Amino acid sequence: MRARKLAAAAAAVLTVAVTASCGGAADDSGAVTLRLGFYAAAGDAADTTMRELVKEFTAANPSIKVQLEVAPYVKFFEKLRTQIAGGQAPQVWLSDGVLVQEFAARGALADLSDRVKTVNADDYSGIELNRDAKGRIYGFPQGAQTPVLFYNKKLFADAKVDAPTADWTYDDLAAAAKKLTKDTNGDGKPDTYGFRAYSPGFTESWWPIIKAFGGDIVTDENRKVVIDSPQSKAALDWMLGAMGKDGFAPDYAYTQGLGKGVVHTLFATSRVAMSYGIYARTLPAVSAGVDFGVAPMPKGPAGRGNVAIVNSWVVSKAASAAQADAAWKWITFFSGEGPQSKWAELGEAIPINKKAASAALPADRREAFLDSLDAATDLGANAVWSEYTEALAKRVDEGLSGTSPVDTALATGQKEAQEVIDRFYAGQTQ
Amino acid sequence: MTVLTRRAGKAAAEQRPPAPKRHSGERIWAFAFASPYLLHLVALAAWPLLASLFFSMTDYDLVSEPRFVGFGNFTRMFGDDVFWRTLGNTAYFAVLFVPTQTALALGLAIALNQRLRGMALFRAAYFVPVVSSWVVVAYVADAVFNPQTGLANQVLDFFGLPAENWLQDPALVIPTLAAVAVWKGVGYMMVLFLAGLQAIPEERYEAAKIDGASAWNRFRYITLPGISGTTFLVLVLTSIETLQSFEQVFVMTDGGPHGASELTVLHLYRQGFQFFQMGYASAIAWVLFVLVLALTLVQFRLQRRWVHYA
Repeated sequence: MRARKLAAAAAAVLTVAVTASCGGAADDSGAVTLRLGFYAAAGDAADTTMRELVKEFTAANPSIKVQLEVAPYVKFFEKLRTQIAGGQAPQVWLSDGVLVQEFAARGALADLSDRVKTVNADDYSGIELNRDAKGRIYGFPQGAQTPVLFYNKKLFADAKVDAPTADWTYDDLAAAAKKLTKDTNGDGKPDTYGFRAYSPGFTESWWPIIKAFGGDIVTDENRKVVIDSPQSKAALDWMLGAMGKDGFAPDYAYTQGLGKGVVHTLFATSRVAMSYGIYARTLPAVSAGVDFGVAPMPKGPAGRGNVAIVNSWVVSKAASAAQADAAWKWITFFSGEGPQSKWAELGEAIPINKKAASAALPADRREAFLDSLDAATDLGANAVWSEYTEALAKRVDEGLSGTSPVDTALATGQKEAQEVIDRFYAGQTQ
Repeated sequence: MTVLTRRAGKAAAEQRPPAPKRHSGERIWAFAFASPYLLHLVALAAWPLLASLFFSMTDYDLVSEPRFVGFGNFTRMFGDDVFWRTLGNTAYFAVLFVPTQTALALGLAIALNQRLRGMALFRAAYFVPVVSSWVVVAYVADAVFNPQTGLANQVLDFFGLPAENWLQDPALVIPTLAAVAVWKGVGYMMVLFLAGLQAIPEERYEAAKIDGASAWNRFRYITLPGISGTTFLVLVLTSIETLQSFEQVFVMTDGGPHGASELTVLHLYRQGFQFFQMGYASAIAWVLFVLVLALTLVQFRLQRRWVHYA
């Protein structure tokens, strides 16, 4: 009987213990504990650098204790959404720039507008790209990405083609790309293409090209889809020509099959002589030992179509006042010249601190990237960016793959993307 | 006789030890011992199910308070072209996958149901993909179906046939995914069939041989009925697995090209975890649950006609 009682007691204690362990332990030391989330692969150089910067920050701010929450990109945002739902989100996290408004529109983020007024905006790039339709700012830039034209110096020299200049137009690009396209083994298929036109990631593909040709994707505070225009059609026709009759770019099926990540190995492995690439694409090219340069994107009938994504620190609306203050301290620390220069050593993003950017970016790439960033518009960010761009991209892809005519693809894409936007904003007061 | 029996029964009942008295304390102990399981059941099964049923009738973005919309999510689903397309993709995938895997698993089980040296090695070889993750399988699949370097196009080239864009062609992507899924899953179903085959008494085959039954007739009248229970299990499991398919398309195609391989669970995942529409995602989950349940009930109903439990 006694043994049974003991066993039952043990079972009950175990149950209580298991249940209790599901909760969180309170910190009664008086220090502010800040949970800081960011995305990086485990053991990645970015992960190491971030941990070093956190150590530096906590050493300078002993009353703030930082708990890091790190996961690879997809996992990080998947977990974050459930954390937000459960009221367990980190107090400060690094958000993909295009997702800031998605979180903000659903009331998950603290409005940083007043805090941003306390810094000298001229010292930083990208602040305005985070301003929403009502002038509010929910994220502070951490690092910027903007596409420019990458070119392979050796392939240009071999083909005796002059390097791209700031005056290049899309016609100049096409003419050079044709000369750079080579079938070296004589099997009837090019081994080296002049240009990579299509990418599953539209930031380095059809989005800036459509803008350069005078079309646009969304207007009116990013709530009206306007992609169905003769200018957009001209842009996509140019791309179809590059991948088809002109033959200076690998076709849709080939590049789509490579996927968003691998498609950039085309430039790094010298299979294409030119490619649009954001700053992060310098990393694979440098690792592969490619002798490359960067130039401004060519001019279309309506300019270069520069766009940018500014990955940003955001603060949870659920953070206490002390945690929000600590989070802002972290943000201003990270935006400082020292941490920004250290982060720039990774070579994965353009520093948003202008002094750090001028000093840290390699001289031969600085001007193209910084000019592009200055001229850039945002990537159509709104509360349903992920959903409406996916609806749109599916249809544009149909046009570029030849599955449906470009006219039809643009019209259907516009209609479906608009439906997504309208569904969200109908009845919204924000 | 009846009277005697009754008396005997009464006597026996009188000799039986009295039924133990149930103390209320014992009931508490019983619940105390069962409490871990009960808590698990309530917290991790019943509660999430009820919560998702509630969310399916709300507009819930994971951040704000859920707003009750009645059957609004279900009404929206009926007009959602993407939902219907994903359901069509799932059905097409199932039509290709379920019969192919079942037939192939049975064929392999029969081929490997031999008492020969080294047979365990072959069985293990077919089972290896089952325990491999989809990420690993995706790499293997790329080696086979890559349009430029893949084995499949090399074989086509050998026979003078044009190369195909297996995973990039909307018309080919589902059949290609089904082929990869069969390759990964056939080993498990093969093991189930092997167990079924080995449970058929050898004497039946011997008797049939003595009666002059041909190999086909032995298969038709002994093997197939003998494993009908296993076949039924395989069909039910495979059908449920197909309707729940997610990881494979998530890793291999992400639903592409332009949605041609987007299955219903991937659509559900995107709505809930990428587009902040957990209410709508929950509604899709419940419709899918009802479909799985209906399909399983139909299979149970039909099994009376063809499954023999020896």
